[in-house]
Amino acid sequence: MEEDMVFDPSLKKKKKKKTGFDIEAALAGETKTTDAPVETGDVDVPEDDSLDLDNFGKKKKKKKTFFNLEELESALPESKDKKPPAEEPEQQEEEIMDDLDLDIDFTRTKKKKKKRNLDEIVAEEDVKTEDQEKGDDLQDDWFGSDRDYTYDELLERVFDIMREKNPSMVSGKKQKFIMRPPQVVRIGTKKTSFANFTEICKTLHRQPKHLLDFLLAELGTSGSVDGNSQLIIKGRFQQKQIENVLRRYIKEYVTCHTCRSPDTILQKDTRLFFLQCETCGSRCSVASIKSGFQAVTGKRAAMRAKTA
Amino acid sequence: MSIQNLNTYDPFADAIKSSEDDVQDGLVHVRIQQRNGRKTLTTIQGLSSEYDLKKIVRACKKEFACNGTVVEHPEYGEVLQLQGDQRENICQWLTKSGLVKPEQLKVHGF
Ligand SMILES: [Zn+2]
Repeated sequence: MEEDMVFDPSLKKKKKKKTGFDIEAALAGETKTTDAPVETGDVDVPEDDSLDLDNFGKKKKKKKTFFNLEELESALPESKDKKPPAEEPEQQEEEIMDDLDLDIDFTRTKKKKKKRNLDEIVAEEDVKTEDQEKGDDLQDDWFGSDRDYTYDELLERVFDIMREKNPSMVSGKKQKFIMRPPQVVRIGTKKTSFANFTEICKTLHRQPKHLLDFLLAELGTSGSVDGNSQLIIKGRFQQKQIENVLRRYIKEYVTCHTCRSPDTILQKDTRLFFLQCETCGSRCSVASIKSGFQAVTGKRAAMRAKTA
Repeated sequence: MSIQNLNTYDPFADAIKSSEDDVQDGLVHVRIQQRNGRKTLTTIQGLSSEYDLKKIVRACKKEFACNGTVVEHPEYGEVLQLQGDQRENICQWLTKSGLVKPEQLKVHGF
């Protein structure tokens, strides 16, 4: 609450830029978004850019996604399938050089979208090249030997096989899900309108009631959908805040908990909601929505008058 | 002799059982509520009744320099209320003092 109220001119300046919705970031949890507070600073003015679910709240779209993937992959032992291993080390070095450049020279438009500290990148690349070399040796002594394989080797191997057999899975990672940002406008001093609420429900293929329950429970307030199918919420909320809640909703109730595909169905079964994935077939129960304890706010005198 | 694998397992057993007391999901819910203007309120629901919440609130008030109170709720038990957005503070404090495990905390809000 507090920090949202602080006026920071540098934030305002950026508001014309695109906002993207980063599904990966959403999935990686909130930590991701906090590393770029300035970028997520776009407030209040709903832009009409359609935003891809891959990058909510981040302008540095292209590069960011690229790195998300990288991170994802480097979390696993790196595979050989991307580039011919022989060329790899040189290429990596070039990239590192580029990074060096760009940390100093931000006028290079082509690369300026990168924003990561050099050490991190270098470390990452190092790990990768190492793995690369290991991988080369492996290829040969994998067969015809019954030595004890290391966990990393085995993991690498299984991922290689997976990628090989399911090219669609690899490309599927880049599949984007286009979603417009929530249009959030204040009404007077006490209410907030979430204008494209219904549209967002449609994009997410979820019942408005379900998203409504979640939003209101999370925001600890009340609200309803009006005649123009916009959601009117009691209290003052900024676009950024609504985005945060939406991101959590998507993480819990839209994307598959196993494969992260957004192609899922939410079913109710004996009091519990289940998320059924259309891509990988996984089915798991999701948290039920509860508002829980609500403190008494507002005029106590009025309350007392009512109950008395 | 019974073969364990063939026992039927009802995945909804606890769902039905907990319909009465589904408050006790073992989680500590930290929520924020807006009051008038830009004032907010933090509520902490689900702290174990083993703890003396009065003592906790006294410590928190001092630590975060805010007012606070303990509210008795028929369904949710004793609930801690603190003035302002104390979500970060209280989460850190609860884990640091060892009263709540980090994985038990569920923070809500925007
Ligand atoms: Zn799936």
